[in-house]
Amino acid sequence: MPTYYKWCSVKKEKQKHEYPSLEVTNHPLRVEVHNLKHNSNKSLLKSLQKWSSSFEELDPLLRFEQMDLENNSEPTIESDATVNYSKIWSVKRTAILNKYTTGEKLTIISSYLPGGEKISSFSALLRQVSNLNEKVKHRLEQLDDFDESSVRKTMGLSQQEFVTKIHMLDDEIKKAWETEQRVKAFKIAIQCSKLLSDISVMQFYPSKFVLISDVLDNFGKLVYDRLKKKSFGDAAIELEDIDSGLVPESARETCQNWMFKMASIRELLPRLYMEMSLLKCYVFISKDEIKPAIARLITMIRGIGNPLVAIYIRVYLCKVASALYGKESECYFHDNLKEFLEEYQQIFQPAMAKKFGAQLLTADKYLSLYIPAIDWLLYGTLNTIPCKLTLLDELLQLCDKTENSELLLYCIVSGFDSPNIIKKSSAILDTIKKSAEHMVLLSPILSALGEHLCHADVYRQLSSEALSQTWWKIVSNMKSTANFLQVLEPWIQFACTQLSAQHINMLLRGTIRYMIKCGKPIDDYSSQIQLVVKRMLKSIPDVEELFLMDAFMPLVELVQTSNARTMMAKTVLLVFFERCNSVQIEDHIIIASLMRLCCILHEAINAVTVEDELKISSDLINKYIQTVSYQDDAREQLNFYVECRSAFIKLDSVLKTLVHAVHALANRARPSRSRWLSRACAAYSFVTVPSLQCALCRAQLYLLGAHAALLVACVGQAEANLKAFVSLIPDIPLYVQEDGQNKPTHVKVVGLLSNFLSTLLILPDNVDSSSKAYILSGFIKTMERIHWRKTDPLYYTLLLRTLDLLCNLTQEKYIYHIDGVISNDELYGSEEEFIDVLENYATNICQELLVVLKALGDAKETNKQYNLALELFWRIIKRGDLREGSMTSLAINLWVLSQKLQDSNNKFAKTLLSALERDTSEEGRLLFDKLNET
Amino acid sequence: MTASLTISLKRVNKIYHEGEIIAGVVIVDTAADLRHEGLTLTMEGSVNLQISSKNAGIFDAFSNNIRPINLINTSIELAAAGKMPIGVTEIPFEMPLVGRQSSMSLGLLETYHGVFVNVMYTLKCSMKRSFLNKPLNASCQFFVQYKQQERPPSKPVRCEVSPATLRAGGGAGAARGTVPHFQLYAEIDSTVCALDRPITGKIRVDECSVAIKSIELQLVRVETCGSAEGYSKDEFELNIAVIFEDDYLVTENFPILLLRSK
Repeated sequence: MPTYYKWCSVKKEKQKHEYPSLEVTNHPLRVEVHNLKHNSNKSLLKSLQKWSSSFEELDPLLRFEQMDLENNSEPTIESDATVNYSKIWSVKRTAILNKYTTGEKLTIISSYLPGGEKISSFSALLRQVSNLNEKVKHRLEQLDDFDESSVRKTMGLSQQEFVTKIHMLDDEIKKAWETEQRVKAFKIAIQCSKLLSDISVMQFYPSKFVLISDVLDNFGKLVYDRLKKKSFGDAAIELEDIDSGLVPESARETCQNWMFKMASIRELLPRLYMEMSLLKCYVFISKDEIKPAIARLITMIRGIGNPLVAIYIRVYLCKVASALYGKESECYFHDNLKEFLEEYQQIFQPAMAKKFGAQLLTADKYLSLYIPAIDWLLYGTLNTIPCKLTLLDELLQLCDKTENSELLLYCIVSGFDSPNIIKKSSAILDTIKKSAEHMVLLSPILSALGEHLCHADVYRQLSSEALSQTWWKIVSNMKSTANFLQVLEPWIQFACTQLSAQHINMLLRGTIRYMIKCGKPIDDYSSQIQLVVKRMLKSIPDVEELFLMDAFMPLVELVQTSNARTMMAKTVLLVFFERCNSVQIEDHIIIASLMRLCCILHEAINAVTVEDELKISSDLINKYIQTVSYQDDAREQLNFYVECRSAFIKLDSVLKTLVHAVHALANRARPSRSRWLSRACAAYSFVTVPSLQCALCRAQLYLLGAHAALLVACVGQAEANLKAFVSLIPDIPLYVQEDGQNKPTHVKVVGLLSNFLSTLLILPDNVDSSSKAYILSGFIKTMERIHWRKTDPLYYTLLLRTLDLLCNLTQEKYIYHIDGVISNDELYGSEEEFIDVLENYATNICQELLVVLKALGDAKETNKQYNLALELFWRIIKRGDLREGSMTSLAINLWVLSQKLQDSNNKFAKTLLSALERDTSEEGRLLFDKLNET
Repeated sequence: MTASLTISLKRVNKIYHEGEIIAGVVIVDTAADLRHEGLTLTMEGSVNLQISSKNAGIFDAFSNNIRPINLINTSIELAAAGKMPIGVTEIPFEMPLVGRQSSMSLGLLETYHGVFVNVMYTLKCSMKRSFLNKPLNASCQFFVQYKQQERPPSKPVRCEVSPATLRAGGGAGAARGTVPHFQLYAEIDSTVCALDRPITGKIRVDECSVAIKSIELQLVRVETCGSAEGYSKDEFELNIAVIFEDDYLVTENFPILLLRSK
């Protein structure tokens, strides 16, 4: 049981504190910049890098992205020489598969798939031809022989099921091939290609084509590989290196046989597809046959009447050719394109219209089915043509001449490169204008054209204005609002980069007029309007200019539902702050506009708003508050802050920012201004803080307020702040929510309270109050009231710190002051009564600490107990008056206790002891001797 | 005591031209020593004609089986009477392919398998054996083709097809009235074709009063037999190919590619 020890603090005589100091060349907080080229630093740097390398580990998503980038960077090197068609095809392939999907039910006819209903007879395929002799008939049947009984039709497949079935067929081909049933594999491949003649679900056709072309490719590869093996064994030989003359007789015979088989297919489409898939194999007969064969195939495709089927088989031909010849194949692209253009009008046949109408497709959807195919043909063609401009001219003339030129026009606009399109942009616009009313692809064409124009070099000239005027004439007559907005997006970017603010404003006004006139609820288009606004904000050279246009804000506020409005406000603010590079906003119009947007954001906040949302909103508003500046007009600035407080009362973090901003304002203005501003600011913060939710934040801000008040010598205000602070202490939660996790407030509280205690040293006592050290005593009482666990490190650390403060308060001259504030040392002049009060507190605290020590001992927290004992011991020898017997004996007891717990070799204890050894005072020496005795 | 006899030709596709040498091996596979009276190899080539029952009377068809015309018949002895050792014995041979020089034929004809006309070439190998054992026989067909010649300058043959030019015959004649109006133009690149090359040409639809469902092309084989009673002629379809399908009239050139199936 510890006995009662009275605490007496020693009065230091020293007037000035001698802090150890050393001269430095760098600011300690400056970011270190290592000079990497420095040689002598190398080894050090290496070791540094070694240490930091583990932190540079990329997160997996980023790594994928980088891998992608690496992969992508490879072909660009290759493409200097030749275009890598297979790579480009695979990109297009994925795009097609993603774009053309369907919810319709699909049908597959095959004899190699389980399930499905039987088709009774295949005789329907065998037309009754006169003169058909029995034997010949038998032969013909063999050609189309699919094990008649087993042909099955599977209906009602979903898209996914269909894809699986196709893959099954692919596997089936491989399986059949491996088990030496080559003819079966061939038959499956034929059946696959036959599926392509079915256009019953048109919007899936491009995807179906891609799937089946893969199957055919695989089949072609199987045949090719086998023939290669037959000719050259396992030698890795490339297609180009195969010399037809060296192919052995047997391989050539087999190949010839395949070709005969292929040529005997009765139906046109499978025959063409199979020949294309086997095209590569001609190399085993004669290399010279391939090119004429391709040329022949190009013309043979004329036999396919359905334009959709025809163009996709052309795509396949080009693909096969490009795989064979690479750069050389490009002429075939061109030939195919020419053939396609010859038959262009087929697409618009009334019979086709009836077909897609029956499938409930709209005209634009129907036309869009052709786009990837034409793109592909055009792509290859563009690589052959040395002068793209002439081709463009030709094609545009063709567009001018032919009816229904929109599909071609769209493909031209999207296929050609920007510089050429820009050169011809006015001609294109004229063409569009002529037939704008009938065009179903009007909006895609215009937006593609707009995208090209966005890449134009910055030049302000008449043609841009003329362009935009023509464009506006076309667009303002558009019926569909969605399409209008789609087109508006790229064009507004064009306007933003090329035209004057006046013009942009005119366009915006026009847009608003259009939106109002269209008579549809504008909220349906909010996301599109948002995109337009975003595009504008991103592309205009000077963001602030936008807010100065009188039509911008009305456009932003065109949407009415709160949700849409909030989204819009958020987008605008986000992009604005991203682009706005000036540190301060001074223009009143912009400030008002932004204020409006922030208010919209704030209005949307309610009880159910999620935390992330809150965070984003408050971040944006904070940014706004921080950037707004009224320069030297502090009164305006403060008014602004007051306004903000009333406007954004729901957001804690905004209030916090406001308080900080106000303090900053007070601080900035201090030297030149009269006191009223500082007082007003102090009052502002004092009034603002209580509305915060989090007690910890409130405490922090109170303390900050007290500091600020002390700095401007508002003692009363400071005291009020600190008083509020003290009364808050019990409310500080043990844990706070941070990033969705409970985090202990421990460390923060220790820091905060230590800060508070050091502030108390400066704070002069309230002379009116009866008790001395008014705030401090309040604090100590509060500490007593809170039922802290005695063994809590937080608790005894605070007690130690309070002890420190008490010792410092007893000094004749405090170690620091603030100019203009008369601290207690001057106020009391070490008055006896004041000192007594302090010593009394110190004694109590010391007593409490001893209780803690015991409690720690009871709780077997030896380590903590040891540390605490030494800490207390240190305070006694440093701050206590060792002339007092009680102090010395307490010190000795503590030392003994610590020695019992751990031996004196501990570093901490050793340092303490050596410090004591150096103590020159008599009492110190005495104590040291005594310690050594024990 | 089993033994087998097979002929294996060096050339995989078994196609030879006149004047070439047919080379190969005769393979004797025996489980025990084999005594024989000599091994001979015979090369035969003949034309078989048959008169179709359609053109001639049934009786004629029966009786008037024309005797085969011999084109080639040579024979060599591969091994003299003796003994074959156990296991596989390969006896190589070479024979020149030369037609019988007679005034009647112009040399060797191309192999042809038709319905009423057949031109066939075979190699026959036979092993005579002792009195009690049956002789062993093996045969192997080979094909004769004309030498690859310089392709004659292609002389495109043109023709036009319209309802008027349709041959009255088959079902079309009766329904002449229902045939819609059309005008086709066709071109065949050459009428002299090599067997392994495709026939090429094009078709153009100039006019058609109805939508075209499909256009099919047939390669028809004509066999003509001459005999005492005159000529008999028969036609057979060989290859049918759809060259245009499922759509609506556009004037266009459709290329033709037909391969003769073997």
